[in-house]
Amino acid sequence: MSRKSLLLLIVIIAACCAVPFVFDPEKSYVVYFLFMASIYVTLAQSWNLVAGYTGQVSLGHHAFFGLGAYVVAIMWSRHLIGYLDPIGFILAGVAASMLAVLVGIPLLSKLKGDYFALGTLGLGEIMRLITIQLGAFTGGPMGILLPSSSFGTILPHYFIALFLAVLAIAVTFYMARSHIGLALVSIREDEAAAEASGINVLKFKVLSFAVAAFLAGMSGSVLAYYIFTVEPQGFYGLNWTLYPVLMCVLGGAGTMTGPIIGGLLLTAVFEIARYFLPEIHPIFSGLFIILAIMFLPTGIMGLRPRTMQREKGGVSIGRLLTKRAKGE
Amino acid sequence: MVKLRDAWLVGLFVLVALACFFSPAGLQAAEKKEIVIGTPLPVTGVASQEGNEEKWAYEEAVADINAKGGIFVKQYNKKLPVKLVVADMESDPGKGAGAVERLVKIDKVDLLLSSFAANFVMPTAIAAEKFKIYYHGNTCFPVVWRGAHLKWSTVFFFELDKGAEIPYEVLDTIPAAERPKNFALLMEDTADGRAFGGGLAEAGKAHKWEIALNEPLGVGAKDYSAQILKLKSKGIDGAILFASGGDCVTFVRQMKEAGLNLKYLHGYKGTWNGDFWKALGKDASYVLCDGFWSEDWPYPKGKEIGERYSKKFGKRSVAIGLYYASCQILWEAIEKAGSVDSAKVKDAVMTTNFKGTVMGDVKYNPDGTAIFPCAAFQWQDGLQKTVYPFERSAGYKVKVAPPWDKR
Repeated sequence: MSRKSLLLLIVIIAACCAVPFVFDPEKSYVVYFLFMASIYVTLAQSWNLVAGYTGQVSLGHHAFFGLGAYVVAIMWSRHLIGYLDPIGFILAGVAASMLAVLVGIPLLSKLKGDYFALGTLGLGEIMRLITIQLGAFTGGPMGILLPSSSFGTILPHYFIALFLAVLAIAVTFYMARSHIGLALVSIREDEAAAEASGINVLKFKVLSFAVAAFLAGMSGSVLAYYIFTVEPQGFYGLNWTLYPVLMCVLGGAGTMTGPIIGGLLLTAVFEIARYFLPEIHPIFSGLFIILAIMFLPTGIMGLRPRTMQREKGGVSIGRLLTKRAKGE
Repeated sequence: MVKLRDAWLVGLFVLVALACFFSPAGLQAAEKKEIVIGTPLPVTGVASQEGNEEKWAYEEAVADINAKGGIFVKQYNKKLPVKLVVADMESDPGKGAGAVERLVKIDKVDLLLSSFAANFVMPTAIAAEKFKIYYHGNTCFPVVWRGAHLKWSTVFFFELDKGAEIPYEVLDTIPAAERPKNFALLMEDTADGRAFGGGLAEAGKAHKWEIALNEPLGVGAKDYSAQILKLKSKGIDGAILFASGGDCVTFVRQMKEAGLNLKYLHGYKGTWNGDFWKALGKDASYVLCDGFWSEDWPYPKGKEIGERYSKKFGKRSVAIGLYYASCQILWEAIEKAGSVDSAKVKDAVMTTNFKGTVMGDVKYNPDGTAIFPCAAFQWQDGLQKTVYPFERSAGYKVKVAPPWDKR
């Protein structure tokens, strides 16, 4: 990230912090829009860490997102934590990380490319079914209804979601610029060469997977605290993976700013389509995505002339999958 | 290729444009010109069939009241027309809160009308609770709604335990020699399926029916041969099937192909829609379905609403009466409250005796529920014949299904 980009990021964060003081948070949709956009940016940035930087295309983000939400819902409904309890957020992230390590070790050591993607895709479905089967503990298919009487204002949720988005950017920035980032990019570019250079490939892959899961789990807990209904269909929905993937790809995978732009842009497109085209918005959104992927395979960040690109390393996910499948 | 000096600008532009567009200043009206009613419905996705049916009934009720000039609101000393705003929740309970958020913050709705089914009603009713906006609910089992202790909503539906007793009460009317001997429950693996399946199993015990098989069904599964083989191996000749429309059609088709004849098949959720008959034709005969209402019942305007629906869609509905009646109740409550204030409207709903709706007379209980008996119908010649409540069956008695080749 260049100094100019960093400055712009600071300006945007400052603007986001000011928004609830300009628009009435209880009446204006802008605050809710930015709240949701922050959640998506966090998810997209965390997915970027695994797929964009490490080259492991995971389709199991919704498993971590849903688990994070359920950790908070189960604990809060049993009075083990309180409303907007920091311990709840941390535990949600830790639980998701633990799941990522648990499934990451066998999956990341044995599967590559689209096989890994399919393996992680199954994870979300497994989590959904386990949640339904656990009956009273998780509320079964109906889920857990949380006490909405606790709700006062969207403001704490908004700032927590914004903080998480900033945290996801900061973590990605730190990891990308540290020796960890070098290891991750080298794994993405050539796993065999990375291994031959003495990099513990599995360790770094699991590390990025676990950090991404931590952020996804915390995002799930933030939304759970806001909508007060945690149920398997919604929280383990594939959208929580597909949308962040699309946001990341559209913005520019493997870049710091791509997921932020993609997150804001696609959240806006979806919201506007839902409002103006209530019955055909899935068609519109789908078309938009198809056209965007067709004409912007390296994302919006890839539009910039090469000489102007200060963030190098943007990747096409399609190219990445093909490369992995061929075992290159 | 388009040259962008900085891709950041794209994000910023979108943000600012959206912020300006959705700012309240441009949307708020100075004078009250209409009553804005919002409804978060599943108009796309797997529940869109039911969602769109509910939407149609709401729209009819709005058109009817507006044809009379609207609702007289004492606070404004004039009649105000009703504007219905539908927010699609995409058949995803997780998107219910967002749908309500749009209705409240962008469309500035005064009150909310129900979504469809417990898994969509509960998230949206809870979202309404946050904004302290009255949510006029229906199609949610009261036992589920009561568990959430909501203050800003009410529910108009049948009790789960009473609804679960209906198949057994109907079965008891069949002569003993003709009754099925081995009974099965085939329940969709969803919130409603599980909740209702539990109720059906309990009610079966109470009515001394032994459930020989209790089998979950996957949503959208294209192959039910495993379940059908189990039914055949256990000699099942009667069943209750809880699944969506497409799944019920698939199940009955595969049942016939496998040569399994159930004397009594009582469908819930998926066998009531006219499309069930359209898809199966005479194979749908003798199958029972649930429902909330019939245009044949002697309630004011019921026949007219039913005919309007049949004219538009070429089929009958056993649900639209509930949705239309929900609107009738809300319109009357607004008029009685003399305001669109949520607390006042809810209070009017709770205290008014609503006479002559298309669902008959309606009175809410102190806990915020208004209960009506669930109905049961049997498909005969493309029509749903009322079987239950018995007093509304006009003498029609449930018939046991003959073998497939004699239907």
